[in-house]
Amino acid sequence: MTFARHNPVLTLAAVAVVAFAAAFAALTLANRSSSPPAGPPALADGTAPARSTDARIRQLQAEVHAAPKEAGGWALLGDAYLQKVRETGDASFYTRADGVLKRALALSPDDVDALVGAGTLALARHDFATGLRYGEAARRAAPSLVRPLGVIVDAQVELGRYREAARTLNRMVDLKPNLASYARVSYFRELRGDLGGALEAMRYAVSAGGGTPESVAYVQTLLGNLELALGHTAAARLAYGQALAGVPRYVPASVGLARVEAGERNYAPAIRRLRAAVGRLPLPEYVVALGETELAAGRTAAARRDLALVGAEERLLQANGVNTDVELALFEANHGDPARGVDLARRAWAAAPSVRSADALGWSLTRAGNSAAGLRWARRSLRLGSADPTFLYHAGMTARAAGRTALGRRLLRRALARNPRFSPLYAPRARAALR
Amino acid sequence: MRKRRFVVFGTALLAVLAAVFAAAAVSPGSSHREAPLSALDPTGDDTDVYAFKAPDAPNSLTLVANWIPFEDPAGGPNFYRFDDRATYYLNVDNTGDGAYDIRYRFHFRTSVGDPNSFLYAAPTVDSIDSPNLNVKQRYSVVREDWSGGHLVRENRLARDVPVAPDNVGPKTIPNYGAVANQAITDISGGSKVFAGQRDDPFFVDLGATFDGLTIRNGTGNAGGGKDDLAGYGVHSIVLQVPINRVTRDRKPVAAQDAPNAVVGVWASTERRELQASNDTGHSTSNEVQVSRLGNPLVNEVIIPLGLKDKFNRTPPQNDAANFGTFVLNPQLAKLLNVLYPGLDVPETNRTDIVTALLTGIPGLTRIGSNPAAADTLKINLGVPPAANPKRFGVIAGDTAGFPNGRRLTDDVVDIEERVVGGELVGHHLPLGDGVDRNDKPFLSSFPYLAAPDAGPDSTLKRNEPTHPPVPAPPDQ
Repeated sequence: MTFARHNPVLTLAAVAVVAFAAAFAALTLANRSSSPPAGPPALADGTAPARSTDARIRQLQAEVHAAPKEAGGWALLGDAYLQKVRETGDASFYTRADGVLKRALALSPDDVDALVGAGTLALARHDFATGLRYGEAARRAAPSLVRPLGVIVDAQVELGRYREAARTLNRMVDLKPNLASYARVSYFRELRGDLGGALEAMRYAVSAGGGTPESVAYVQTLLGNLELALGHTAAARLAYGQALAGVPRYVPASVGLARVEAGERNYAPAIRRLRAAVGRLPLPEYVVALGETELAAGRTAAARRDLALVGAEERLLQANGVNTDVELALFEANHGDPARGVDLARRAWAAAPSVRSADALGWSLTRAGNSAAGLRWARRSLRLGSADPTFLYHAGMTARAAGRTALGRRLLRRALARNPRFSPLYAPRARAALR
Repeated sequence: MRKRRFVVFGTALLAVLAAVFAAAAVSPGSSHREAPLSALDPTGDDTDVYAFKAPDAPNSLTLVANWIPFEDPAGGPNFYRFDDRATYYLNVDNTGDGAYDIRYRFHFRTSVGDPNSFLYAAPTVDSIDSPNLNVKQRYSVVREDWSGGHLVRENRLARDVPVAPDNVGPKTIPNYGAVANQAITDISGGSKVFAGQRDDPFFVDLGATFDGLTIRNGTGNAGGGKDDLAGYGVHSIVLQVPINRVTRDRKPVAAQDAPNAVVGVWASTERRELQASNDTGHSTSNEVQVSRLGNPLVNEVIIPLGLKDKFNRTPPQNDAANFGTFVLNPQLAKLLNVLYPGLDVPETNRTDIVTALLTGIPGLTRIGSNPAAADTLKINLGVPPAANPKRFGVIAGDTAGFPNGRRLTDDVVDIEERVVGGELVGHHLPLGDGVDRNDKPFLSSFPYLAAPDAGPDSTLKRNEPTHPPVPAPPDQ
């Protein structure tokens, strides 16, 4: 028996069958928990994944064109644009993401995907207060979803609201212990100087990744960074190697290996790696790492040339709404105009009073000649008990400049204790100051 | 009509892509910890559960549960594995209250032969113990018996037995089938267990949606669909136990109407809580359920977006209170009627769906007389395996198939589409996704699931040939 062609209801049904199947399939996949067969996952490598992200962007553009009243489509296009930045570092996609996410929220102010997307965008632009607002709006829109909590935690941490962040994070990991929440636990412990606890949590995250490529690359790189912070060079190298075995040319892992090599004064391969990394994912922090490694290697002219790019890149980021105050303050303090660094860091502190901002302000003040004020801010930067060797180096050099020699020596020793090679440029300076 | 179609596709595509992009950012140069796509949790989320009486083992219950979907055989050199730090469960309710009475608990442990090698395996792996298999996973199985909410007994069924390796290719593992079969572990008392990579037995056309604005001709009840899971692997646990091990009175089932005939099963995953600060002195070892799955597609199709996490962390026994209204009034039925008023899909008070999935069909899949409405996959252990299984199962008169348990060949997408369309209340719509069967034949013996494709020769996705429309009610 086939269904009759001329029965109007059944004809309608026949049309609907296809739609039904599509809707059904869509709802089905929406919760099948892994990446669909649409293409390789999101990676900080501008090659194959970019093609698939481009394809997704084209497809979503067609969809929103066909159904411009559907908030969900605009929200997804916004996510795809954010993905594009992760892969290429091209900040102009922040501006595009902003446009489509606003459009989604205009159509449907309570759309969770749009709210989480807007929160994520704000965090990526280092506008943490706005990120927090969107994260909380997303939580109100869907109180039992875990995803908004990730946005809220990240914002609270960057805003220096550590007690609230701990509460949100505990809630998040109680509700859903998985890679996303374990990795955040790891970071929170790291901030408090508990590198052992951070390592433990990151191992949970790696295990939860179960060998899926995107997780291997991302979490193994973070694990490598922690191992390196603990001075476990071989373990760090192994973790970065695992990441690169999973996703060849994964830029953050490649940068990690370069840091290991630079620490071992193996400058030539480190510089080669960093130059390749900057070519594929031109982020200011990678350019700074390249320039500082070149300085350590005595290649002053090349360093000057490369570091000159940082300002241009920062301006490009700013043009696309990214707040780069903390990063730029440190750059000015180290390689440019420390007085300007102070202004930038003050602004950063006003917007986001985190230990990161305090460190940038303290170091800028010291470099600008005001080490007494610098020391007050350095103390704030260490208030969580941070074991970050860069924070400790800044604090130690500041104390020394402020005439607090014994304190300075203690801090510098701590900076070098875990990883005597924490930076090709600053670790030798710390050692020199201790002599 | 054209415009409306766009809307449907728009909505559909959005739902799909929402899952794809459901992740927050790693922002350049800052310290956020969210990995791309990491909001997705492949090692934690169960994808499918099957429960059946295999023709070659009619006195046993065979359970299959899958994790880690979309394993790309050519995706190496990454290889997939269970999470060593998660706990995996197969749960059985034999009293009808929606709470587990028996749990089979699985713990995995990975060992790496040469930690300085990034290779998963080197040629040639000719046995499951081969030293050339650099990354090995082993596991243990413990049976828990529960009564009144308390653990009353634990028995270790297997200790440190091997997981089947991933199929990395014919050069490395020339005789993959034989090596994988060495992962079949016999447990005393006639039980068997297998864990490791398999071909994903689920089949569904998701591509019609991905194609967006172009509709494949013939999609529906006449084949022509594309199986988007063809060629992809999953990680499976397959457990076969004699029926008297799971019945409430520990006796075999005498007949379909015996009081001990029906059990409900589901899979779940638990992970450890961690505290944000490790140094508070009250570090916990609590485990939290991060995922569970009974009937196919309930969380995917029935549970609204905002409640999916809640569904995954709550037990089936509370389903009626937590989610009953979404089963009674499925959003999919509403959506269809808004777009296509002529269809008249019943929207509200769908007790037929509640019966089919949650409370059980009287005389077939109902546990006792007044069971809890719980999303468990119910199977009547008194129904013998069908000589000629029909992919539409019960709605085609084959009572040995879904929703009486779920066989690997049951076309649950088509069945559930037709049930939501009103099949059980006399509203026969010829619905389907155009994919009728898995891309690979299943095995006739344990572990039943087909071996996964090897890396180099894998092809992904498969087109279902078109065929004459399968009428409503289906008879094949």
